[in-house]
Amino acid sequence: MSLNKNNIPFIFFLVITIGVKAQERPSIQKDSILVENLDEVVVTATRTIRQLSSLPLPVTLIPKKQLEQTGVTRLNEILNEQTGIIMTPDATIGGGEGVQIQGIASDYILVLIDGVPVVGRSSGNLDLSRFAIGNIKQIEVVKGPSSSLFGSEALGGVINIITEKPVSEKVAGQVSHRVASFNNQNTNFSLNQRLNKLGYSFFADRLSTDGYDLSPNQEGNTVNPFFNYTFNGRVFYDFSETLDVYASGRHFFQEFDVSPSTSEEKDTNLQLRINHDASKKTNLQYEFYYTNYVTNERAVDPIDNELLIENDFDQKLFRPEIRYNHIIKEGNIISLGGGYNFESLDRSLFAETVSFDSQYVFAQFDFKPLEKFNIIAGARFDNHSEYNSQLSPKISARYQLSENLAIKASVGSGFKAPDFRQLYLDFTNAAGGGYSVFGKEVEAAGIERLQNNGEIATLQVNDSELGEQLDAESSIGYNLGFTYKKGKLTADLNFFRNDFKNLIDTRILAAKTNGQNVFGYINRESVYTQGLEIDMKYSPSNLLSFSVGYQLLFAYDKDKLDDISNGEVFARDPETLATIQLEKSDYFGLENRSRHTLNFKTFYEIPRWKANANLRITYRGRFGLTDRNGNGLLDDFDNSFVDGYALVNLAIGKTFLKHYQLQLGANNLLNFKGSNPLAAQDSQLLINPGIQLFTKLNIQF
Amino acid sequence: MKTNFKLFSLLFVLIAFASCSDDDGPNLVPVESKTASNIAAPQTGGQGQPVGGVFTKFNFATGQVTTSETEWDLAFRGTTVAVNGGVVTGTAEEPSRSGNGGASVQSGTFGSITDADGLTFTQDADGAFAIPSGSDNGWYNYNFMTNIVSAIPGKVFVIRTHDGKYAKVEFLSYYEDAPANPDPNTDASRFYTFNYVYNPNAGETTLTQ
Repeated sequence: MSLNKNNIPFIFFLVITIGVKAQERPSIQKDSILVENLDEVVVTATRTIRQLSSLPLPVTLIPKKQLEQTGVTRLNEILNEQTGIIMTPDATIGGGEGVQIQGIASDYILVLIDGVPVVGRSSGNLDLSRFAIGNIKQIEVVKGPSSSLFGSEALGGVINIITEKPVSEKVAGQVSHRVASFNNQNTNFSLNQRLNKLGYSFFADRLSTDGYDLSPNQEGNTVNPFFNYTFNGRVFYDFSETLDVYASGRHFFQEFDVSPSTSEEKDTNLQLRINHDASKKTNLQYEFYYTNYVTNERAVDPIDNELLIENDFDQKLFRPEIRYNHIIKEGNIISLGGGYNFESLDRSLFAETVSFDSQYVFAQFDFKPLEKFNIIAGARFDNHSEYNSQLSPKISARYQLSENLAIKASVGSGFKAPDFRQLYLDFTNAAGGGYSVFGKEVEAAGIERLQNNGEIATLQVNDSELGEQLDAESSIGYNLGFTYKKGKLTADLNFFRNDFKNLIDTRILAAKTNGQNVFGYINRESVYTQGLEIDMKYSPSNLLSFSVGYQLLFAYDKDKLDDISNGEVFARDPETLATIQLEKSDYFGLENRSRHTLNFKTFYEIPRWKANANLRITYRGRFGLTDRNGNGLLDDFDNSFVDGYALVNLAIGKTFLKHYQLQLGANNLLNFKGSNPLAAQDSQLLINPGIQLFTKLNIQF
Repeated sequence: MKTNFKLFSLLFVLIAFASCSDDDGPNLVPVESKTASNIAAPQTGGQGQPVGGVFTKFNFATGQVTTSETEWDLAFRGTTVAVNGGVVTGTAEEPSRSGNGGASVQSGTFGSITDADGLTFTQDADGAFAIPSGSDNGWYNYNFMTNIVSAIPGKVFVIRTHDGKYAKVEFLSYYEDAPANPDPNTDASRFYTFNYVYNPNAGETTLTQ
């Protein structure tokens, strides 16, 4: 059977890589005759090396070639072009951008660099433009809950940035400069070499821009001018055939020009991994990881230089982890692991530095009960110092129905630990009216303090409820998909459903004598997201490819749906001011979710001219930003909807004299600007700053 | 001619019916549905400073703002609404409660609340207003993202007036001239617009016209 033929490279690959070489070292196989197949391997789905097409769960792989040919510079830009992955702007003006997968917001998506997590979220949102993609081999995105392997935050999915390993014996490298609209200047430099036992690589990147403005008739920029640097140095060393070590250090520094105020951001990651192949079938990995994320903000009055707000944030994570992989027989791998997280956060809005401790173990069995049938079963147990421990199981299976068609299904659970803010925030907004917000761990003491000061008018919750432990937010995700592959056509269809419960919401704890409220956190909300994703790719030749992706999404708050069924939700017609009882069909669903998103991509190479060109179109359907009529949900009477729009991106590249590559392109070619419905009357607020032209020169040596 | 006669007789019958129904019960003053617009409710302080300012008092019987210390039913200052019943809550410059007023919070469209009979009325008390203060507690929602105060749709407040009569109130807007999409930067706030139905007949609880 031809199926066997398909499996041969896969099994062969598993044996040589898992058994003999370390996990997460796919490029070591570059010399192999199986390069074509081996390029499409991922490590994020199972934490072992697996061929993309054989996986029982939905995974998106963005290869280096796509990163290079599109001319993008930052992680957020390339993710937005993938099916079912959407970068959503914050509704607030000047706010950041968050990634959304299967309708799940960025708070619930884990971001890794080479398998270790990055920290530093602002209100739950991780700024993905922090990550330069100059030295990246590929980006892997696992959709659906993956807490069975990665623990907290992996509810909606996991994004893993895989950096490139040195392969050339000669010193190799490149230097490039890219100029784009808004005085966006990006220079990067990389150098790497693989000697017999020693490999090293170095990467540096500088980006600066004048920023841009989405509110032309208001003073100030939406994105202020900034510059940032990224440095990454890595060393690989083989002590013997069976023992090697990998060390990596990354540092990111960014400063915004908001004179006379200051705003800076620093991010440091240090990773050390020792890889030991104890036997032909057994592999052990010891990993030490440290990361530190710091922001310093000082808002200064431009007239009298008085310090208005000082906001500092300093988060640290140290994590030793040990992993064990054992091949029982061909295609049957058992993986075990355990680790310890030491976390701390020092923040201006906290009474004191707070720290977390958590320990975890995980196990996974990846096996083939039948030749055409693969099952991956795993679970992880997380024990935490501040909230209830979590058990996160997951099972996924794939069955090859015929030579061309496979079915895959998975059920898994995910959780997100209450974050530092939800536990320790101790904040009274003096400038914004004098309301207070307390994290769960400090609310009892905070209320008592206010009571003693005579600031509390009435307590709105039971005294005994104060300080009750918060639970982790959790989800169960279901995926059912079909993969069809025949000749030049591949097609994937995936149905998904994610049920979230215990989402943490704010509630009013007490009314203050100044008429304001005291807010606290509570596990309350239940939401679901469901829909389907379709991905089709057609490659008439290996020089030309077309792909189309579509996502259909429904995302609702379950409690709000119940309220509507009970006839308890009303809206006001903004013109007549008449009150209307809402029907289910009037409820648009969760904020910032588009029912339809589409993308189309085509890549073309012309070897004769040493040139390539690509065109990518993304369409995002209508979505709503926020409730505006006071009923707490997004309905058809809220004037806060952004109409659907398409962005067209084009890039053309050509190689000269072997070592020089010149690239020209335009992002948002049609100069779409849109209009934000939340704009103040008689003023304009744009959705997109408009066309961004760029040109890039790259020199390889 | 024939048609004219028919028309006249029809008119006669109608008039007869109308007068008949008037004679059916005691002589009641008709219940009317009205809109109060741009009731200014200024406030001093806020933004961390102590809140103050005189409450603007409203009387349902006259449909007007009043300076009377006793004959008022609702009083407004900023987003705070007081009823003329119970005791002072403790905030500065509050009017004293001389009447027997109260409020009952109901859910529904304005038209669906038809009678005050059988409802439980709350009065202002030490530390708590009958119409609770704060976003999402009482009559309004404050959106942190847009900085807009909007009246929560579907909240109907049945009011017992200072002299024991009944009215229902539906808040519409907190901004001057009740713009469809208020802009907190340009539209003046602390201007109440609300629909109300007042039954001027003592002992009558009906809240429909």
